[in-house]
Amino acid sequence: MPLVYDELRRIAAGYIRRERPGQTLQATALVNEAFVRLASERPRPFANRQHFVAIAALSMRQILVQRARARKAAKRGGAPDRVTLDENLVSTEPPGVDVLVLDEALTRLAAFDPEQARIVELRYFGGLTVEETAEAVGISPATVKRQWAMARAWLKRAVDTAPDDSVDAL
Amino acid sequence: MTHEQWERLKALFSGALDQPAERRHDWLTLHAQGDEVLAREAGALLLAHDTAGGFLEEPAVIDPADLATVDEPASGMRIGSYEIDHEIGRGGMGVVYLARDLRLGRRVALKALPRLHDSNTALRERLRREARAAANISHTAIATVYALEEIDGRLFIASEYIEGHSLRDEIESGPLEQTRAIAIAADIARALCAAHDAGVIHRDLKPENVLITTTGTVKVVDFGIARVDNINTRLTREGETVGTPAYMAPEQFLGSTVDVRADIYAVGVILVEMLTGRHPLMTGGRSMPGSAFEITSKCIQTDPNDRYRSAGELLAALERELANWKAVAEPVTPSVPAASPARWWWEFHQAAVSIVYAVMVWPTWLARNAIGGQEGNAVFVAVLAAAIVAVTLRLHLWFTSRLYSAELGWARARATGWMLVSDAIFAIGLVVAGVLVGDARPALAVIEIAVAVGAATAFAVVEPATARAAFGRTDRL
Repeated sequence: MPLVYDELRRIAAGYIRRERPGQTLQATALVNEAFVRLASERPRPFANRQHFVAIAALSMRQILVQRARARKAAKRGGAPDRVTLDENLVSTEPPGVDVLVLDEALTRLAAFDPEQARIVELRYFGGLTVEETAEAVGISPATVKRQWAMARAWLKRAVDTAPDDSVDAL
Repeated sequence: MTHEQWERLKALFSGALDQPAERRHDWLTLHAQGDEVLAREAGALLLAHDTAGGFLEEPAVIDPADLATVDEPASGMRIGSYEIDHEIGRGGMGVVYLARDLRLGRRVALKALPRLHDSNTALRERLRREARAAANISHTAIATVYALEEIDGRLFIASEYIEGHSLRDEIESGPLEQTRAIAIAADIARALCAAHDAGVIHRDLKPENVLITTTGTVKVVDFGIARVDNINTRLTREGETVGTPAYMAPEQFLGSTVDVRADIYAVGVILVEMLTGRHPLMTGGRSMPGSAFEITSKCIQTDPNDRYRSAGELLAALERELANWKAVAEPVTPSVPAASPARWWWEFHQAAVSIVYAVMVWPTWLARNAIGGQEGNAVFVAVLAAAIVAVTLRLHLWFTSRLYSAELGWARARATGWMLVSDAIFAIGLVVAGVLVGDARPALAVIEIAVAVGAATAFAVVEPATARAAFGRTDRL
């Protein structure tokens, strides 16, 4: 786990050094690059690519949630009693899904359908295609499609009905 | 939703999805088999599916800057000569990890201070100075600072790893016992005396920063480095929730100069919390013992000039209070009257019973041989084990009574339960042995049962009587 996590961070640091400000990375690109690099560095670091991707997807999810929490805390703590030393905290929220709300909904989904939650994690946070996901989970692509359709619908409902600050109550 | 319902919902959803849009509704109604709730749920999911648009279709996007700044050491990572084990807490000035110092092979609490920008040299210097000052304080109630490390431009403070829990954990489970609360406050005051003598002000005393080791020692952590100078330069880091500055003295809050009396204010707040389980601002009408109230209210005066002038002064007040409490409530220990003729008889009884129990092992061995098989073994082992326990305890009491009379009260209190059990097993074992051996060796059976009756009588009548005579109580033994 620390290995994948650190590798993802190293790659990101590389992107920043090459000065591409504001450029965002898709999970797919990041995870692929991390795998290629780790695989070339070590003879057999992971049981297989699926194993690696599963860990990478989980890492991505954790990183995104962590950052979203930090941003939220920074926003809330606009009180004069703190001076933010980390300027990165001030950067803006990426557009799209509220990752904290999604994370919370996904955790709830995992409670009664771990497979669907895993498929979402791999597809959304790991950037895997339907075929790759099928291989990683060990089910047929058709099943992945069906499960994905339902999980996506369920999450959409959960996210839309989530109260604005539900995450605060956690 | 049960697992079964969820599986049915899945089947309904997938089935309906395979139908042309205009036929889905009818399909659902048909296949839900009257379960309207499930049909409605599936319908809502289908609607969400149709209106989800691009929801989650594109993989998550991440700003590389985000990734690179998640600079939290992960478990197993090496930082300088430290190996991170896991996070043990986060506070005002950074995340604390349990780590191993690979040079000395000892466990340390490694505090990662937030990464400072290069421009912030003044603050960095200030931090260094504070950590150095904190490292110079040596006191049993203060967590020792081992080292200030600068690794890759980031400051880390390695200090004594304290196994235990925080005072916060204790307060959360309700108010503390009076004397204990005052004793803890006194320990904090002692730590403050040492720190203030070394010129270090804590600035962020709160129940989270007071740890209680597994052996019960109070340890104050985070001296001097928790808050630098005043509120305006307070360091914060990502992920930290901004709490109410509940333990800050008013002058600290207002950003004016802070001295040792700010720490005294914090001790007052903590003491109120320990005694009432609540922060002074929320205690409402909760009662506090009068004298403790005097101490706390003197600590939490708005004007620093109205508070105790030093930690030493506060400590003296707390110690007086503690002495008062101790005088009122002497610890209750079972006391034993001085040796008397009755006591001699009690000792004689213990010795005599021990001898009888020991001797009875022999006839029971003979009985075992006569009974034979598993039954014989079981009865013998039960009697032997019970006899060993009963005799050991009685000899222990006899010995204690002869040589360490003062301890006898405790010894008896501890032994009572075990003696009850072993005596009962012994007597029952003898009866069983007697009954089983009855046909083969009638004489042996008579001995076994007679002694069992004798033991039961001694246990139920004689022993309580001699104990009562010797100790003047109505309890057993």
